[in-house]
Amino acid sequence: MTVTDLAPSATPTALSSPRRRGRGPASRRQLTAWLFLTPALIVLVAFTLYPMAQAVYLSLTNYNLIAAAEWIGLDNYIELAGDPAFWNAFWNTVLYAIVVAPVTVVLALVFAVMLNQAFFGRTFVRTAIFLPFIVSLGIIAIAWSFLLDPNIGLLSYWFGQLGIVTEQGWLSDPRFAMPAVMMVGVWKFVGFYMVIYLAGLQSIPAELYEAAKIDGTTAWQRFRNVTLPLLSNQTLLVSVLALIATLQAFDQIYVMTRGGPYFKTETLVMLIYREGFQELRFGYASAISFVLLLFVFALSMVQYGWLRRRAVTY
Amino acid sequence: MTSTLDRSTTDGIRTARDLGALDRRRLTLYRASKWALAIVAILIALLMLLPIVWLVFTAFKPESDIVTYPPTLWPREFTLEHFVDVWERIPFAQLYVNTIIFAGGVTIISLLLDSMAAYALARLPFRGRGVVMVLILILLMLPFQVTLIPLYDMLNGFGLTNTLPGMIIPRMTNAFGIFFLTQFFLSLPRDLEEAARVDGASEWRIYRQIVMPLAKPALLTLGLFHFQYNWNDLLWPLVMSSSLESSTLPAGLALFMGQHVVEYGLLMAGSLLALLPVVVFFLLIQRSFVAGIATTGLK
Amino acid sequence: METQHAPRRRLTRGIRIATAGAGILALALTGCAGQGTSSNGDNGDGGDGKITLTFWNGFTGPDGPALEKVIEDFNASQDDVEVKAEIMPWDTLYQKVLTAVAGNDGPDIIAMSAARMPQFAKQGMFLPVDDYYEDAGNDSAALAEAAINASVFDGVNYGVPVNYTPMMMYYNKDLFEAAGLDPEAPPTTWDEFAAMVPKLTVDENGDGKPEQYATALGDHETVPVFPALLWGTGGGVVSDDGTTSMLGDDASLEALNFWVDLVKNQKASPIGLSGADADKLFLTGKAATEIVGPWMTTGFEDAGLNFGIAPPPEGPTSDAVLADVVSMGLPAGTDDATKEAAYSFFAYWNSAEGQTTWADGSGFPPNRADVADKVTASPYPAIFGDAAVASRAKILLAGVAAGGTISETIFWPSLQKALNGDGTVDSIFPAASEQVQAELDK
Repeated sequence: MTVTDLAPSATPTALSSPRRRGRGPASRRQLTAWLFLTPALIVLVAFTLYPMAQAVYLSLTNYNLIAAAEWIGLDNYIELAGDPAFWNAFWNTVLYAIVVAPVTVVLALVFAVMLNQAFFGRTFVRTAIFLPFIVSLGIIAIAWSFLLDPNIGLLSYWFGQLGIVTEQGWLSDPRFAMPAVMMVGVWKFVGFYMVIYLAGLQSIPAELYEAAKIDGTTAWQRFRNVTLPLLSNQTLLVSVLALIATLQAFDQIYVMTRGGPYFKTETLVMLIYREGFQELRFGYASAISFVLLLFVFALSMVQYGWLRRRAVTY
Repeated sequence: MTSTLDRSTTDGIRTARDLGALDRRRLTLYRASKWALAIVAILIALLMLLPIVWLVFTAFKPESDIVTYPPTLWPREFTLEHFVDVWERIPFAQLYVNTIIFAGGVTIISLLLDSMAAYALARLPFRGRGVVMVLILILLMLPFQVTLIPLYDMLNGFGLTNTLPGMIIPRMTNAFGIFFLTQFFLSLPRDLEEAARVDGASEWRIYRQIVMPLAKPALLTLGLFHFQYNWNDLLWPLVMSSSLESSTLPAGLALFMGQHVVEYGLLMAGSLLALLPVVVFFLLIQRSFVAGIATTGLK
Repeated sequence: METQHAPRRRLTRGIRIATAGAGILALALTGCAGQGTSSNGDNGDGGDGKITLTFWNGFTGPDGPALEKVIEDFNASQDDVEVKAEIMPWDTLYQKVLTAVAGNDGPDIIAMSAARMPQFAKQGMFLPVDDYYEDAGNDSAALAEAAINASVFDGVNYGVPVNYTPMMMYYNKDLFEAAGLDPEAPPTTWDEFAAMVPKLTVDENGDGKPEQYATALGDHETVPVFPALLWGTGGGVVSDDGTTSMLGDDASLEALNFWVDLVKNQKASPIGLSGADADKLFLTGKAATEIVGPWMTTGFEDAGLNFGIAPPPEGPTSDAVLADVVSMGLPAGTDDATKEAAYSFFAYWNSAEGQTTWADGSGFPPNRADVADKVTASPYPAIFGDAAVASRAKILLAGVAAGGTISETIFWPSLQKALNGDGTVDSIFPAASEQVQAELDK
């Protein structure tokens, strides 16, 4: 079991048993692979890929959900390129992702390292950090909105007792609305990523730390040279997931600010929702979705490739 | 080379050694830092729990105590009226059953299909693997709102709207689940499988008897993820069902959010009741999914 | 190693079987459950020649039971038609209605805010119902004009009133008294109100944040009280015929400057309130007045507030008061039999007995003035339905298909900018007016 091997995982050659002749093991493997894959693929193709293709088609029309769709070619795409609402949403989305994704991932790692040691109340803390993840975001966003209410909210009241006066309220203040929804975004997901890291941490054999200690390393050095590299698979997974999730931020923003004040917190998915379901411009909304998809795809590929090369596999 | 003061291996990092004067000071420092850690951790935990605690307490407050100034966390008066009313205002029992079937069904089926697909992607080299992987990633990145309408139209054509199977079938597998499990399988040591392959075991047997047991923590984590995602999903069941009786809990709870008036007490009481199964599921499995996989079968 | 796996093998085998079994069971169960719910939207015979109509509406909360009562009475009063209400939050309704109607899976009767009807009518979703009004048997002459005209788009009427109410000013008598003002003399004009603001907005500890405000004006997610204020000086958002933007007119700017100054500089109201926030502010006794509809009376009474209700203060030029109308319509393509059945329900809803039951149960004023004296369960329908106020009532952006867009994407954001000091009224609104005109011209 080589731990320091940093090469991408090579497929071990199959050892062919002398009993099997004729059909090579390679093609048998192929068939098996497809058999395993098929049920899932059928569902994905039928119920995700096909509707997606339809949505692509719709993005080239002026579909409004009631009348028949009329072909308008690339007009939607041309329009969105010059639409200030699109660019506003785009930069808001980028801002949100740039802050929330790294903060969530780093915080998750910190919490995981913290919870990897035994201490009084450890199970309680672990549960508490994970609980936001399984609560309905729609409902809990209402709870957050109430807590943050500048006049009758608990948090505002407590801050007021401490001398911090919030006149306008975070959610309608153009300076604080985005940080507020960002905070809820981190709060919601940090527990899930933490659990992934915890599982990874627990699979690092204690002997490695022993060995490192004998060599006289500091805790930080052990973290950097043993823990982090061995968590690289988890980091890959968590980073990709966090990036994708933050670029699609919607739920808590819809409940807490509706994209306001004056579009300061409107992300791309909020815009898609607004254009599609409120302005009834479903073709246009589809076009925006695909631009978002391409953007997310490009970013994720870059991130995935970069992290994959550093991943450790057995 | 363990001393009597060896800490348990769950600590992971530190072990106390033989006591000497220097080490005694180190031990006190160590204990103090542990307590500091506990305090910091518990404070963080309480902060994380704040909205949930508020939700729980609000469910027990009479409405006049909820929207009031100055606000308090602890109820001034306790009441169970919301918990009673919730069953009368909406068909809560029916919604509960629907949600259990929907979320439970999706979870179980999805775990099966996702893990099979992930096994193929992680362990069985085949032509087109790269393409499929990229496809999965693309589907993962698609915002759900986009395919909502075309999917609804398709299911409507099959006559599956307003039915539970109609809600479950498109979710029988999930790009996220496949991706998650693929990553996990990739990180598993191959020794056992290779040995089994040499022995002539079929892929299905290897999958079933070697890989899946090792994957238990990941399966439980993913299972919880699927369960809570579908349990709490509002948009999909809402669009798919045209009457309340065939919908799920979130849709029922949404009824307490009037345009002008939000009935906070009822909403929080209903949410609390709706939250219980997911929390119970989590508490049941939480020990196992952070239990490591390191020591299983590697000796 | 083999022995280590034996128990596990049995376990995983068991798990696999159980899983597959559970999966199959789940599908089977859902199949059974699925059979139970028949497809909706069936206007077909209920076996005994009865037509069943599904009625989607957004009367969640305490209004729901009142609505259900009228429907119950209608169903009991005859054997040909049965109406079944599906109540859901308005947001949900707007999300679902399009997909449902487009998929022929929709309701038979759709209620929605009259302000949003033109947008859907323009897309071809609604059936014209002019023939309902032409039929004298439906007794529509007794209904309030404004209520009937609210659902007109492009000269065609697409809806029948469900409810109609002006907004009135609630005022907290205790707070008035504490401020040294006569609790029975609420402000009747803008200037009177402005004079009261320094007394009603109270910042005792001088930290810059008042503990009590003179009023609570929402600037998003609310009934459009603020835009309606523009009428007071003869201004408005859009001209009455729906063709020209008035947002940049001097009269409009005058009203906007007056109120933005009052709110922003004199702190007459907090900034950044939603409608629900404004309600909560008045509910907790932190606002002395609030202009809102009759749906809050129950909540305010339960909170034990000592409040009075008066018409909103008049502007210098006009005393127009904002009215909110919810109308119900039929999807385009409804067949004649269903239409007739629906019309009979519309007629009952707006009949003297229907409206009396509705007003009694909901506190809303009746759609017809002639039953005002029959409503006994609560005093509020009479107050909100008062003829003097009804003559002042006006609907915002009636018949303007782009009404929703104009409000949500132009007016409110511009107002929020002005209130936050991100520009002045005179710099923001003329530009906004051009955007409005562009929307109207589309």
